[in-house]
Amino acid sequence: MKKVTLLFALILLVIAPFFGQIDLPLSSLLDSDSMEHKVFFDIRLPRVLLAFLVGGILALGGLIFQTLFRNPMSTPFTLGVASGATLFTAIAIVLGFYTLSPLFAFGGAMMTVIILFIVASRFNAYDSTSLLLVGIALSFFYAAALMVMFYISSLQESYEIMRFTMGSLDIVGFENILILAVTSLFLLMVIFKYRYELKLLLTSYEFAYLKGIDVKKTNYILLFAVSVAVGVAVSFTGPIGFVGLIIPHILKTIYKQSADKLILPIFFYGGVFLVTSDLIARNLGTASDIPIGVLTSFLGAPFFIYLLIKRKSS
Amino acid sequence: MPINITHYTNNILKDISFSVEDKDHLIILGSNGVGKTTLAKVLCGITPSDTIDVNGINPSKMYGEKRARLINYIPAKLDVFDEFITVREFLELGLISAVVVGQHPTTVDEILDKLTIGHLSEKACKMLSSGESQLLLIASALLHDARYTIFDEPTANLDPQKMQVLFSILKDNSHLQSKIIITHNLDLAYKLGYDILFLEDGAIKFHGSNDDFFEQAHLDKLYDGSVLKENNNIVVKL
Repeated sequence: MKKVTLLFALILLVIAPFFGQIDLPLSSLLDSDSMEHKVFFDIRLPRVLLAFLVGGILALGGLIFQTLFRNPMSTPFTLGVASGATLFTAIAIVLGFYTLSPLFAFGGAMMTVIILFIVASRFNAYDSTSLLLVGIALSFFYAAALMVMFYISSLQESYEIMRFTMGSLDIVGFENILILAVTSLFLLMVIFKYRYELKLLLTSYEFAYLKGIDVKKTNYILLFAVSVAVGVAVSFTGPIGFVGLIIPHILKTIYKQSADKLILPIFFYGGVFLVTSDLIARNLGTASDIPIGVLTSFLGAPFFIYLLIKRKSS
Repeated sequence: MPINITHYTNNILKDISFSVEDKDHLIILGSNGVGKTTLAKVLCGITPSDTIDVNGINPSKMYGEKRARLINYIPAKLDVFDEFITVREFLELGLISAVVVGQHPTTVDEILDKLTIGHLSEKACKMLSSGESQLLLIASALLHDARYTIFDEPTANLDPQKMQVLFSILKDNSHLQSKIIITHNLDLAYKLGYDILFLEDGAIKFHGSNDDFFEQAHLDKLYDGSVLKENNNIVVKL
């Protein structure tokens, strides 16, 4: 089952860039001056890579958040990182700095992280529930501020903001892909370094503490690493919902192993899920691509509910 | 080197001071809600306090293997978040990171057999019954092998056979250097023969030898005649 899924996923990744609104015959791809060659290497391939890396980061972020908060409903967006990015993108658009919006988005995400850590440093002991509540409160605050941005923006600006909140994988060239690849590598390395601690945290805080772990420090490092990575991802694509929530749960249901063994599979299949969603979005034959965030939820929600029913009834 | 607590006070406990010498054992008794678990969490550092000193170290202020080697706390209930962590994986986590599995004097399998739960080694911790979970916790305590191990109601969910297994482990002093055992089981406390610390209304009412505590006259005073010593057994009148 696992091998068949893996093979299928790999084939999907390889063929993904070949499908889209324009057919790309293989023969013209080899001609470096052709339009097909340009479309394939400047648009299609970066887009597939972007989808893969962002999907991987979001799914892995979900796993880490669900573990650290001991809450199966946590997602990388739970602490308000995505809302921060969205608000700041809106601010950039309203102020007329559209080209700088990824930088604003990243700034918004990081500001959220910094606020969270300042608040957390005021707590006596590590308290994940309070941190979660602070994140939720921040999200509501950002949502209200976003409404203000909509209110004061022009019709065109409103449309741009709306487009960002739906998530988009439009990207040209490889420079941004490199940034995301480095980010993914950073996230994976941090998680691998703290794999033993993470496994202990999969039992309980107390158990981890009694084995000598500095639970507070470990939690903060992992939360920080995920938030930075998600901040980078969201600054390129906007908040793409649902990947971080469902991929860890789906993989756990399929693999039936403890979460510490699923780090790479969750990254990989998170990527495959977003590539697949994007592939469908690009090939539905509509005049413009369906926003990717819409599709991930349309695909993910029913499948997720199906899995939950299957698990609870067996 | 002893474990020391001096003048600890919080919202339930009042001015708690006592010490347990190296290689000594202690049984903590007291009614529900009197603060036994709170006290245990203070001793091992989960609840930070400046009044505690284990071998010259405040456990809440240090991390790493050194603290782990010093003191361990076994809660009343097994708490595992991940639904797929198996019994074996859980126990391997109990071997502190620096200890190579192969070099440890006792292996996971030996411990599992000793506790009669060898057949559960590949089962997910979440699927265990409460009695099995309790034995798993005891197994993890033996593998962890700290200088001081605090057991919080280790007998709460055990059937008679498992109770005998547990008793022989708690009684056998070759296993763990110093044990602090919180329990409501007076017969167990009596048969183990270790010193008794009795808490009442958040304060230490008695701290002394097992023999003195289990004098019938003393029991009458503490339990209003509801606890009897009969044929060398401690019986609760129902």
